[in-house]
Amino acid sequence: MEKVLIVGGGAGGLILANSLDLDQYDVTVVDKEAEHYYQPWYLYVAFKGSKRKISRPISKLLKPGIRFVRDTIKEIDLDNKKAYGSYEVIYPYDHIIVATGTSPDPNVIPGLSQIYNQVGDFHSNLQNSRKLWNSVKNFKGGNIVFGMASPVCKCPPSPIEGVLLLEEYLNKKGLRSKTKITYFTPYPRAYPAEPMNRIVEPMLKERGIEVMPFFDLDMVDTENRKIKSIEGDELNYDLPIIIPPCKGTKIKFRQDVKDEDGFIKADKYTMRIKGYDDAYAVGDVNNLPTSKTGVTAHLEAKVVANLIQGIYDKFTGRINCPFDMGYGKATFVIADYENPVVEYPPSRTKHFMKMSMARIYWLTLKGYMDPVFDFYFEFTNPRKLNEKYNKTNPPKASSQPQ
Amino acid sequence: MEKLVDSRGSACPGPITDLSKAYRNSQVGDIIVLWATDQGVKADAQAWAKRTGNEILEMKEEPDKIVIKIRINKR
Ligand SMILES: Cc1cc2nc3c(=O)[nH]c(=O)nc-3n(C[C@H](O)[C@H](O)[C@H](O)COP(=O)(O)OP(=O)(O)OC[C@H]3O[C@@H](n4cnc5c(N)ncnc54)[C@H](O)[C@@H]3O)c2cc1C
Repeated sequence: MEKVLIVGGGAGGLILANSLDLDQYDVTVVDKEAEHYYQPWYLYVAFKGSKRKISRPISKLLKPGIRFVRDTIKEIDLDNKKAYGSYEVIYPYDHIIVATGTSPDPNVIPGLSQIYNQVGDFHSNLQNSRKLWNSVKNFKGGNIVFGMASPVCKCPPSPIEGVLLLEEYLNKKGLRSKTKITYFTPYPRAYPAEPMNRIVEPMLKERGIEVMPFFDLDMVDTENRKIKSIEGDELNYDLPIIIPPCKGTKIKFRQDVKDEDGFIKADKYTMRIKGYDDAYAVGDVNNLPTSKTGVTAHLEAKVVANLIQGIYDKFTGRINCPFDMGYGKATFVIADYENPVVEYPPSRTKHFMKMSMARIYWLTLKGYMDPVFDFYFEFTNPRKLNEKYNKTNPPKASSQPQ
Repeated sequence: MEKLVDSRGSACPGPITDLSKAYRNSQVGDIIVLWATDQGVKADAQAWAKRTGNEILEMKEEPDKIVIKIRINKR
């Protein structure tokens, strides 16, 4: 039997493993952790103090017959088809899938690690999200600066979701009038994709959240409680809520397949690592021109499972990010390689859908919800939705390769 | 150094995020060549260059992409 090695038991790795025919393939999943975490819930831990259990043992999320090994992969040799774990364990393979997600690196911004350790954040892990909830809970009013420390981060809506949920919390606590919230971003506007920004900016304005565009974080001056940007601007803070820079993988490759931030260069339709037929990078760890989200990892994993099993398939670049706008309303960011982001109006129904996802997530990983998703993805086809909602959006040039 | 940033197909987060990322990893004198399909990139790149003090050397529309050449003058 051919050996399939999956490095990472996150959203992408688990869905991929559970989509393979186990009569044909010998499948091993390696993860450095024993538990899988439902990351979207970090928002509700950090800004609502949610205590819901959001992790499950990886071994229980895999179909019977799939091997799970707890180990950290340190090095991969793509030419000789071998991965190297701790204690000199070697994993030979016929097909490898690297699905190791992103890793936060607060050390690249001077002063940020102090904030990361003291205030917490809502992207790195559960522990840091709880720490941030403590900081938010103990806040008594003043200046909050809120934003991300690098242009790339997973789940593009999550920084705005965070600031909207924070505003809702402060409002309920009666602290809103004592607080100034500034949302800083390296982009020219609050939300990078223009059509969604047309919904987001008026909402931020309505809730009194100031936006500081073109603010690419350069350093944190913890002594004077200031953040500074590459562009030369400064903001004072009492409470800094900063998503640490998001980097790719620390795994060493014997071949040159990573970009300068550690993301793996892969084909945007097949997720094959450039130059290799039997090696793939799935989910947040690859450098595809699309959002880093669980839904993307899911769809990429399905395509790769087909390709490994000899079935023609191609990833369309489809994104579908749930976007909580606070006060019980939500929308979705929907697009693909061929169609721009839809200006999709927020509603209570969409909020209900986002909350339901948190419940059915565990079934999704095992593939039990596939028929529902197939129907949903067709129902929300980006081309059709664009025709319905995007009245002002110019068409895009074709992105098909020549 | 000339660096190609292929952002074709990116709708969200979009080419401006790839440009910001390339900027972070660049040095004064570098040339960034950005490929994109999202039409919004033209106005964004212009606003970005103005704000960050960098220079757009060329902006052209090809059948399958928009090509923007930027010289990094400030870091
Ligand atoms: C606040 C927040 C909100 C979000 N909201 C949404 C949302 O609403 N919808 C959505 O679709 N997405 C959302 N996301 C994004 C989503 O969580 C990620 O995109 C998704 O988890 C990516 O899956 P992945 O498989 O690529 O990586 P991950 O799920 O991060 O999994 C990577 C796995 O690899 C393991 N690993 C890493 N390095 C090694 C190594 N060297 N050896 C062995 N194992 C290793 C890790 O332990 C981990 O288990 C959100 C994220 C955050 C932080």
